[in-house]
Amino acid sequence: MGRLNPAEQAKIILRSRISSPSFVFSFFSQSPDSNYSKLKYIISSSVTEACNNSVLLLGPRGCGKVAVLEIVLEELLKEHPDMISVIRLNGLLHCDNNCALKEIARQLCLEHHLMFSKMASYDDNSQFLLSMLRECGLAHKTIVFVLDEFDLFTQGKQRLLYSLLDAMQSITSQAVVVGVSCRLDADQLLEKRVRSRFSHRKLLFLPPSREDCQRLVEHILLLPTDSSLPNDYTAAFNAKLLNILADEKFKGIIDTLCYSDSSVGHLLRFLFSAICHMDMNSGFLSVKNFKSALRSMQRQPKLEALKDCSVLELYILVCMKRLEVKELELCNFNSIMKEYKSIHDTFQTSDYYARNVCLRAFEHLLERALISFEDNKGHGQSAEFRPVKLVISWHELHQGLKSHRSCPAILHKLMDREG
Amino acid sequence: MDAAPDAPSSLPIPTAENDLQPFFVLHKASPPRKSAAKARRRIDLSPKTCDSSTEQNDDSLRLETFNSLWSKTESIIKDVLKNLNANVFDEIDKWVHVSFNAIRACRKLDCFSATSPYPILNSASIAAAGASRQIFTGLLFTKNMEFVDDTLTFADLGVHLRSNGCYVANLTSLDFSAKSGVGGCLKTLLRQFLMVGIDAPDMSILASWYTEQENYESPLVVIIDDVERCCASVLADFIIMLREWVVKIPLVLILGVATDVDALRNILCSNVCSYLSVREFALGTPAERMDAVIESVLLRSESFSIGKQVSTFLRNCFLRHDGTLTLFIRALKIAMVQHTYGETLSFTLTKIVDEEGSKGFDGENILLRDIVLKRALNLPSLQRFCQPSARLVDWASGLSELKRLRTLWSSTVMCLYEAGKYQKISLLDLYCELLEHDQRYSGASDHTQLAKDKIVSSHNNHFHGCLQKEGYVIRAFQIVRDLTAVKLCKLLNRWELLTRGIKEIHEKVKELQALMKSEENRPKRDLKEASKKPTARNLINEKTAKTTANEKVATFLQCMVRQYIQPIESIPYNEIIFFNNVDKLQTALIGDPRRRIQADLLESHKFVRCSCCSKNSGVPIPSMHDTSIMYSLAQEHGDLINLHEWFHSFKSIVSLPPLQAKRRARASPSPKKRKNSNEPQNRNDAKIQAAFCRAVTELQITGLLRMPSKRRPDYVQRVAFGL
Amino acid sequence: MGKEESPQISRRTTRLSSCSTPSLKAPVEASKATNKLQSSSVDDLVFHGECISLDELINSFPGRQTKILELINLLGPLDSPLVPTFLYGGASTGKTSIILQMFKHLTRPFIYSSCITCYNPRILFESILNQLLLHRKNESNGYLSAKRCEKPSDFVNLLREALSTLVDSLKGNPGKLSSKKSSSQVNGRMVYLIFDNLEVVREWDKSFSILPLLFNLYDILKMPELGLIFISRTSLDTFQSDTGYVEPFPVYFPDYTEDDLRLIFMKNQANPKLYSSFLDLVLRPFCRITRRIDELSTAFLPLFKKYCEPLGDLGAVPNEDMKRKLFSHLQPFISLSLNETSSVSFQPLLKPSANKDRTLRKNTTKKLGAFETLDEIDFHMSTSAKYLLISAFLASRNPATLDASLFDSTGGSDNRKRKRKGSERSMEQKETKEQELLMKGPGTFPLERLLAIFQCITSVAEYLHDDEEPQNAGLEAEGSASGLMSDILLQLSSLCSANFITKGGSCPLEGSTRYRSTISEDMALKIARSLKFPLSKYLYRR
Repeated sequence: MGRLNPAEQAKIILRSRISSPSFVFSFFSQSPDSNYSKLKYIISSSVTEACNNSVLLLGPRGCGKVAVLEIVLEELLKEHPDMISVIRLNGLLHCDNNCALKEIARQLCLEHHLMFSKMASYDDNSQFLLSMLRECGLAHKTIVFVLDEFDLFTQGKQRLLYSLLDAMQSITSQAVVVGVSCRLDADQLLEKRVRSRFSHRKLLFLPPSREDCQRLVEHILLLPTDSSLPNDYTAAFNAKLLNILADEKFKGIIDTLCYSDSSVGHLLRFLFSAICHMDMNSGFLSVKNFKSALRSMQRQPKLEALKDCSVLELYILVCMKRLEVKELELCNFNSIMKEYKSIHDTFQTSDYYARNVCLRAFEHLLERALISFEDNKGHGQSAEFRPVKLVISWHELHQGLKSHRSCPAILHKLMDREG
Repeated sequence: MDAAPDAPSSLPIPTAENDLQPFFVLHKASPPRKSAAKARRRIDLSPKTCDSSTEQNDDSLRLETFNSLWSKTESIIKDVLKNLNANVFDEIDKWVHVSFNAIRACRKLDCFSATSPYPILNSASIAAAGASRQIFTGLLFTKNMEFVDDTLTFADLGVHLRSNGCYVANLTSLDFSAKSGVGGCLKTLLRQFLMVGIDAPDMSILASWYTEQENYESPLVVIIDDVERCCASVLADFIIMLREWVVKIPLVLILGVATDVDALRNILCSNVCSYLSVREFALGTPAERMDAVIESVLLRSESFSIGKQVSTFLRNCFLRHDGTLTLFIRALKIAMVQHTYGETLSFTLTKIVDEEGSKGFDGENILLRDIVLKRALNLPSLQRFCQPSARLVDWASGLSELKRLRTLWSSTVMCLYEAGKYQKISLLDLYCELLEHDQRYSGASDHTQLAKDKIVSSHNNHFHGCLQKEGYVIRAFQIVRDLTAVKLCKLLNRWELLTRGIKEIHEKVKELQALMKSEENRPKRDLKEASKKPTARNLINEKTAKTTANEKVATFLQCMVRQYIQPIESIPYNEIIFFNNVDKLQTALIGDPRRRIQADLLESHKFVRCSCCSKNSGVPIPSMHDTSIMYSLAQEHGDLINLHEWFHSFKSIVSLPPLQAKRRARASPSPKKRKNSNEPQNRNDAKIQAAFCRAVTELQITGLLRMPSKRRPDYVQRVAFGL
Repeated sequence: MGKEESPQISRRTTRLSSCSTPSLKAPVEASKATNKLQSSSVDDLVFHGECISLDELINSFPGRQTKILELINLLGPLDSPLVPTFLYGGASTGKTSIILQMFKHLTRPFIYSSCITCYNPRILFESILNQLLLHRKNESNGYLSAKRCEKPSDFVNLLREALSTLVDSLKGNPGKLSSKKSSSQVNGRMVYLIFDNLEVVREWDKSFSILPLLFNLYDILKMPELGLIFISRTSLDTFQSDTGYVEPFPVYFPDYTEDDLRLIFMKNQANPKLYSSFLDLVLRPFCRITRRIDELSTAFLPLFKKYCEPLGDLGAVPNEDMKRKLFSHLQPFISLSLNETSSVSFQPLLKPSANKDRTLRKNTTKKLGAFETLDEIDFHMSTSAKYLLISAFLASRNPATLDASLFDSTGGSDNRKRKRKGSERSMEQKETKEQELLMKGPGTFPLERLLAIFQCITSVAEYLHDDEEPQNAGLEAEGSASGLMSDILLQLSSLCSANFITKGGSCPLEGSTRYRSTISEDMALKIARSLKFPLSKYLYRR
C-alpha cells in the first residue's frame, strides 16, 4: 500500500463508510424491535416454513429501506446457502409488464444457470416464471421478489403484481414479495383483485430520532482502531471528534439540519461534505467543518439566482411584482414593458434599454426559472404575448434585492412602496 | 397526348402547403366542357379535314412542334435563371470558404480531437467563449413571399457549392417537423453527408465521418430552404446542437429566408439568435427575373410569342395574384400547347425558326405544302390585308417580312428598356404597353397631348387596367431627354450592342454615337476657355449642347417607336406566331374550382343534356342529381341552413306527387324521364334520408358546407363565397 | 483486432491534443501519441498530454479558486467514493470547462455526455456505453454503436456489466499509484460519469422516467466505484418528480462578478494596458444588462476593434489624453451596441473579413435601415396577398363586433361617418380594449370573417382608386374581387407558410381552423402604404 498520509487514509475510510449503506445501517440492526429484525423474521420464516409471504416497506427516501433489506437478505443468504434466490426489480426500469417479466426470467436464468433467450415472448416468460416457481417450491427454494419503487408497479393494469401474487396462492410455490416504496399509501394503490391477494404486512421506516442521529454520527465517524492507520492518530482523531460531538454548537448544527430534513440520507450527505471540508494539514475534523458543511447543505436557489441577476433583470422582476400587486388578471412581456416604461417616465432611471434587450433579459429570467409561463400551450403566439408569472415571493424578491451587489436604490424604493 | 389541350387546368390545390413543386392537376374535365372543347377544336381544325392521313400527320407534326418549342424555351429559361443567380452563388461560395478559414483559425482542427464527446478546451475558448462558438450563417433572401420559384435555386446552390469542394446537405422545412423532432433533421443531414441511413442519428457520427474523410480540408454546408416554414422549436434545438460542435466540425449554415430578417427573429428566441453570426445575401427580385425571362424568351427568340391580351393577363396575374415566375412559365407552356393545337399553321413555327419557311417544305410532300397554303389563305390577317393569292412566294416573303418586323419591334423594345432602366421601368410593363398601343405614338413628338389621348384611350379600351397616366414609353422618352452626357453615351453603347445585325437601326445608332463623341469633345473645349473667362455663356451652350444631344437621341427613339412599333394584328401571318386567346388560357390556368363547382351544381342541366331539366332551369325537380337539388335549395337559406327545413324541402321535391310527375312525363316523353317519374312511389323515407345525408357530405367535401357545430347542432353553415 | 486498433489510436490522440492548452501544440503531441500505441486501452478514458498542476488550473479560471478547491475536496483523494454531485449555475459560468480541466489535472477516468448532443434517451445511453466499451463509431462498423439500447432496464444491465469489467481492468492496472508523474496512466479505480446540460432532459418526452433514473442511478447500481456528476443550468428545485429522488449533493457556481469578468477578459490580451482602458469604458455599462461572458464577448469584439481604430500601432500604451480621445471616439457606439446586445450578430456586416469598420457601417446601415423601413417592404408580394394580409391584420386587431360598423361593401365614402360612430364608441372602451389587446396579442378569426373583410377592403380599394390613377386600382382587371377570389386560398396558404398568418387546426375546409395574423403594426402600415390603402381609417382605436 502506498504511503498516504493518515489524514487522507482516514478520509478515504470515512467516505467509503458513508457511501456503503450496509455499514451505515448495520447500526440499526442491533436493537431487537427494529424493522431489521421484523423483516428478517418474516423472510426467514417463509424460508424455513416454506410458505408464501408478502410485505411492504414504506417510508420516506433515505431511511434505509433497501439497505436494511439488503442486509437481511445477505445474512439469510449466508444462513441458508442456495435456498434463496433473489429477484430484484425496480419500478423505474421495469414498470411495464413485458420488460419486467423479461427481467425476472433473465435473473432466474442467471441464478439457475439456464439459457436466457431475449426473443422469449411475454407468455413464454410468464409460463417460465410459473414453472420456475413450482420447481423451486418443490425443491424448497424460496424466491424473493424485491420490487423497488413499488408504487410505480401499481400504475396501469398491475398485471405483473397480479400474476406474481396469484402464482403465490398455490401451495406448491414458495416465494416472498417485498415491495419498497416511499409512498406511504402504496397499498391503497393496489386494485381489489391484487389487494385481496396481498398480505397487508407493512413495515414503516421512519427517520431516526435525535439521539439515534447523534449515535449514528459517532458510529460513522469514529475511526476503527483496527485499521492500517497509526494508532496515535486514530486515538487523537476520535478524542477530538468525541468532544466535538459533545459540543453544544455541534448539537445545534445537527438540530438545524434535522429541522429541515432528518432522514439518514440527508445526514449522510451532511457528514460527507463535512469530511470534504476537513483540512489535510491538521488532519482532524473541527466544528468549523460542520458549519461550512451545513451551509453548503442549506441552499436557497432562488436567492442565489436573484444574486446573479443583472440590473435590468431586476428591473423586470420589480415590474412584474408591481403588476402582481395591481392585480391585473394576467401579465405578459408587453404589459411588463409598459410598466417598465412608466417607471422610467416617472423616475427618469439611468438604465432604460431597447425592447429587444429587455426581451433577452426576460428570456434570461425564464432560463433562471425566476419567472415561468402560465401555460405550456399557446406556442402559436410569440413569447411576448404568452402570460407569465413570478415564481418567487415578495419576501424573497425583497431579500434578494437587499443582498444584491449593485441593485439601484430606486428599486428598493419601489419595493418598499409595494410592501 | 390528346388529353393535354383539353384539360391542362393547372391549379395547385390550396391545402398543398408542403410540396412546393408546381404541378398539373389533369382533372378529368366534366363531360360538357370536354365535348365543348372538342367541338371548338373540330371547328378550327375543320378546314384541314381533307383526309385522315394528313390529320394524323398533322397531329404528329403539332406534337413535335410543341416538343421542340417547349424544350428550347425551357432550356433558355433555365440558363437565364442560372446566370441571374451565378454571381450571388459565387459570393456565397467565397464567404463559405472565408468563414471556414475563420473556424480553422480559432482552433487548429487536427483530425482526431474533433470526435471527442466533450467540448474542446483551450484558453481561447475560455477567454472568448461566445465569439469562438458562433455558427457562421448566411441568410439568403429570396425576395419573394411565394416560395415556389426558389425550390430549384437552392438545389442549384448546393450543386454549385459541391462543385467548389464543399460537402453540402440540402434540408427543407419538412425535415424540421415537430413530429420527428431534431432527430428527423439529423437523420436527413447524415443521410445526405454520409450516404448511409442511420437509425440513431447523432452529431458524433458526423464528426467521426468528417475526420475519416481523407480531405477534411473542406467545409460542411447545411442549406435550409425555407426557414419560415420550419418548426421553431426543432430549428432552435438543431442550432443549439450545432453550436455544441461548431468548433469541432467546421459547419456553415445557409438559411433561405422568404421575407426579411425579422422572420428569423420571430422564429428563434434571442438566445439562439445570438449563436448565429449572420451574413446576408439576396437573390434577384422576381421582377428582375421576369424581365430577364421575357427578354430571352419573348424578345430574343423569334419563334413563339404572346399577344397583347395574354401578356396583359399574365402581367395582372404576376402583379396581383401570385407573383411567381413559376406561374408565368406554366402559363407560357399552356399557351404554347393551346397555340400549337389551336392554331392551324402552328407547326410551321419550327420551320420559321430554322431559316425560311418555304425551304422547309422541300423534303416533304406537296400535299402538306398546299395544305399550308390553303390554310394560310384563311388567316384573318391575310384576308384583312393582302388580296388572297395562294402562291408560295408570298408565303415565304410574308414570313420573312414578319420576321424582319418582329426583330425590329423587339430591338426597339429593348432600346426603350435600356433607357427605362435608369428609372427602373420593368420590361414587363413596357412590353405590355407596347403590345397594346396602336398608331398612337406616330406623330407624337411632345408627350403632353400624347399623355392626354393616352388617358382617353385608357378609359375607352378596358382590358388593360395596367397603364399609368403617362405610359412607360413616354417616361422612357423623358428619361432620355434628361440624361447626363455620360449616361447617354453608355446608353448608346448598349444600343449599339443591342442592335448589331439590324442595319436600319444600327447605322443610326452609330451616327448618334459619333455625334456624341463630338458633343463630348466640345464641352471639354468649353471648359478650357471657361478657365480663361468664366461667363454664363459656356454654361449655357453646354446646356444647349447637352439638350441638343439628348433631343437628337430622343427623337431618334421616338421615330424608332413610330416606325417599328406597329400593332401585331396589322402584320400578315401574325397568328402563326402570336398566341392571343386569353380566356382559354385563363380557364386552363386559374380553374377557379370553387366557383365552377357552385355554378355546375346550380345549372347541372346545362351539361347533363337530359330533356327533362333543360326546359325548367333553376327550379329543382326530382330527376336532377340530389346534390344539385340540395345546393339549389340551399340558395334560399342564409348562410345558416336549418337542417330540418332543408331536409323537408328536399323530401318534398324528390317525392313529387306522381300525377304532377305524370304531367311532366307527358310533357317530355323520354324513356329516362318515365323511369324516374314512377320512382317517387317506391322511394321510402329511409332512402330519401340516405340520399340527403350523402348529398350533405358531398357538399361538405366540396367545401361548400360546414357540418353542424356543437353550439347549434341543427344548423349547417354555408362556406360558399364568390359567385 | 485491426478493426479494433484504429479507433483506439484516434481516441487516445483525441484526449491528447484536445487538452493542449495552447492549440498550436496539437500536431506535435499527435505525433508523440502515435508511438505510444501499446499502452492499455483503459488510458483512453483519461486526458493525456502533460497534466496541468493545480496552480495552472486555478490560474486558468480567474475568480473560481474557491469553487475549484471545493470540487477538488469533493472528488477527494484517490479511490475515495463520491456521492452523486450536482453542479448548477447560470450559463457560461465555467461549469463544464472547470470540471473537465479538473479531470485533466487529476487524470482520472471519466465519461462525458452532454444531453444536448444526446438528444434522446437512446442516444444518451448508447453514447455512454460506447465510451465505456471504448467503442468508436466509424465507417468500418457502419457508424453503429456498440450495443443497441433503448430501454432503461437494458441500459442499467449493460452499464453494470461494462462498469464492472472496466473497474476490474482498472484494479488490474499496474502502478497506478506510482503514476502520479507519468500522465499516460490512469489514476485510481473510480469511474466518473458526467452528465452535462441536464436541464434539457426535463423537456424530453415529458420524461417522468429518465430524470429519476439518472438521479437514482447510484442507488440502483450500488457500485461505490461509480461517481456521478450532474451539470445543469438550473437549480435542483426545478427538477420535479412525483415520488422524488435521492437528492444529489449540490454545488453552486455563481455568475461572475464584474471584477471576475475584468480578470477573464484581461486574460492573454496582446496589449493589456490598452484593453483595460477599453474595459474601463465598456464593462460597467454592459454588466448592467448581462454578465454572461459569451454575450459580452460578442458585444466587445467589434467594439474593441472600433476602439483601436484611431491607434497607429496596437502595441502602444495609451496615455491619458489618448485615452480621452479614444473614449470620445468610442462613446457613440457604446450606447448603440448597448441597445442591440440581443441582436448584435444580426448585423449584415459581421463578416469575419470586414470586421474592421463594422460598427461604423453597422451604424450607417442602421440609419438607412431606419428609413428604408419607412417606405418599402423589401420583398415581393402580390397585390391580393397584400390585401389579404391587411385584412388578416384588421381581423385579428379589431373586435369582431365592430366589423359591421367599420366595413361595408359600399366602400370608403360613407363609412367615414360610420367610422366616427365606431370611434366614439371606442372612446370609452379604449382603455380596457387597449389593455386586453396588450394582454392577448393579436386575436384569432375564422376564415369567413377574413374573406368578408377582404372583399370589403378590395371593393373599397377599387372605389378609392378609380378616380385616382387606374394603375393601382388593381382590381378592376378581371371582375375585381371575384377574380381575386379565385386563388385566395392559395394566397392564404402561402401567407401562412411565410409565418405572417398562423393557423390552428388542420384542414382549412374544417370550420375549426382559426387564423391569427402575426405581423407587427408598422409592417402592416408599410404594406398599406405600398397599396395607398388608408389602413389607419379602419384600425379600431387609433
